[in-house]
Amino acid sequence: MLYTWENTTREVEAAKPEIALLPLATMEQQGDHLPVGTTTLVLDAISRRVGETLPGSVYLLPTMPLGTSGLHMSAPGTIALGWETLAGVLRDLVGSLLAQGIRQVAVLVGLGNVSSGTAWPVDNFIAKTAVRQLNYDYPELQVIWAQPFGVAGKELRSIFQTADEEVHAGEVVTSVMLHLFPELVKGRGEDHVPAVGEAYLNYASFSALCPGGVWGHPSLASAEKGARAVEVTVRCTTEYIARTFGQLASMRG
Amino acid sequence: MWDYRSTSAEIKAGNPSVAVFGIGAIEQHSEHLPLCTDWYQVREVSGRVARELNALLIPALPYSMSQCHGPAAGTVWLRPETLALVVRDVIMSLRSQGIHRVVVLNGHGGNFVLEPVIRELNLTYPDMMIIRPLFDGGFVVADLFEHGDVECHAGEIETSLMLAISPDLVRATRVDYVPEVGREFFDYAFLDKWTPDGMIGISSAGSAEKGRRALDVAVERVVKATIETFAALELLRRDSNSAEAEV
Repeated sequence: MLYTWENTTREVEAAKPEIALLPLATMEQQGDHLPVGTTTLVLDAISRRVGETLPGSVYLLPTMPLGTSGLHMSAPGTIALGWETLAGVLRDLVGSLLAQGIRQVAVLVGLGNVSSGTAWPVDNFIAKTAVRQLNYDYPELQVIWAQPFGVAGKELRSIFQTADEEVHAGEVVTSVMLHLFPELVKGRGEDHVPAVGEAYLNYASFSALCPGGVWGHPSLASAEKGARAVEVTVRCTTEYIARTFGQLASMRG
Repeated sequence: MWDYRSTSAEIKAGNPSVAVFGIGAIEQHSEHLPLCTDWYQVREVSGRVARELNALLIPALPYSMSQCHGPAAGTVWLRPETLALVVRDVIMSLRSQGIHRVVVLNGHGGNFVLEPVIRELNLTYPDMMIIRPLFDGGFVVADLFEHGDVECHAGEIETSLMLAISPDLVRATRVDYVPEVGREFFDYAFLDKWTPDGMIGISSAGSAEKGRRALDVAVERVVKATIETFAALELLRRDSNSAEAEV
């Protein structure tokens, strides 16, 4: 059963949720064709379905709509937090949950992409860093993190042609947006994959690497692929969260 | 190259354009390796890389983010924000002296705060080129080893590197262990809950010969990646500056 910000405090109290879900999104340029709130829009939809699928009572927090988007700073509409700010937000929110007795928190760290693993995230390293510190500061906590497109990577690769080349606003996320919010997709943007690797995201601004704001192949997107992607992403993310909390419980015994 | 044995006047006269800064750790490394394993490895490699690049070598930092080994005797660690401040301050010192190219060599796998710190510094100070070529306690040469794919801590790679660098510090016992859970558990539970003394890998396969070759290749790869990355960045920044000038 899912509980959210639309419940009353008494309802949440009575439900005694064991798990909280905390989605972290961003507001940043997403090529010429997708809205700046793309990550928030998609993550809202995915995390709600994950919360409804997980067993037991789950408390879903509102998606944090701003993140570490400094890379896109010069693009209109982008709002960026510093990394210490995001780490502080995570620490404070998890601390609030702990004060109410919710000890299991799953943090969804943006959407990720198919190359993000469960040990090494893509793009956002600070959520992983903050989660690790929280677990060691508060041994009674079990905070885990996941990137939905990463845990569903194997399945997504069989749906999309260019999932492995996608970093930003490409075939995968454009397809998902065409399925969930077709009215918000303005054309397809221009396909672009820079000559250098993803490490350069730490060294140069996104506009220097990808002048059109796209790293991937949005021209190949379709609503049909997007529908299948949402389904497998929700299933894989739910399974991953349940399995990881299970492993942790047996380990801490 | 220049290092802490140089005088300030010598460094000024040499006018180095690049600095190399290694980051080590003091943490448990199974039964056979000392606490200083990550530190000594990165000290060795950063010294050799600095020599190849004719760079200013900053003494390798002994401490970093070893929280996951917390209760293990002898382990000491820095919080992410502390390590971030140290890295930032070192780089700002270099900048104030006109050194705009910095190579950060990471010797310990847990330092995930380095990516956001380096990214933000590059974005905040466009005159700087701060890069982080892969070294990561030998991961850059994992392909050279028989059991490189299961290595995570104190296994074939690290044992070989230490046998090459400081053989007198390597004890005789060898434990081999590969846990069932994934590496994300570094984020979730003290290693004592899921490994024996932080052991992940096949330490019995380590040898000094493998270590010597791996060190040579590691230095070669780090130097090559550094030169290529600085060159590519120079091109990228020139292109985006001229694009801005046209607007």
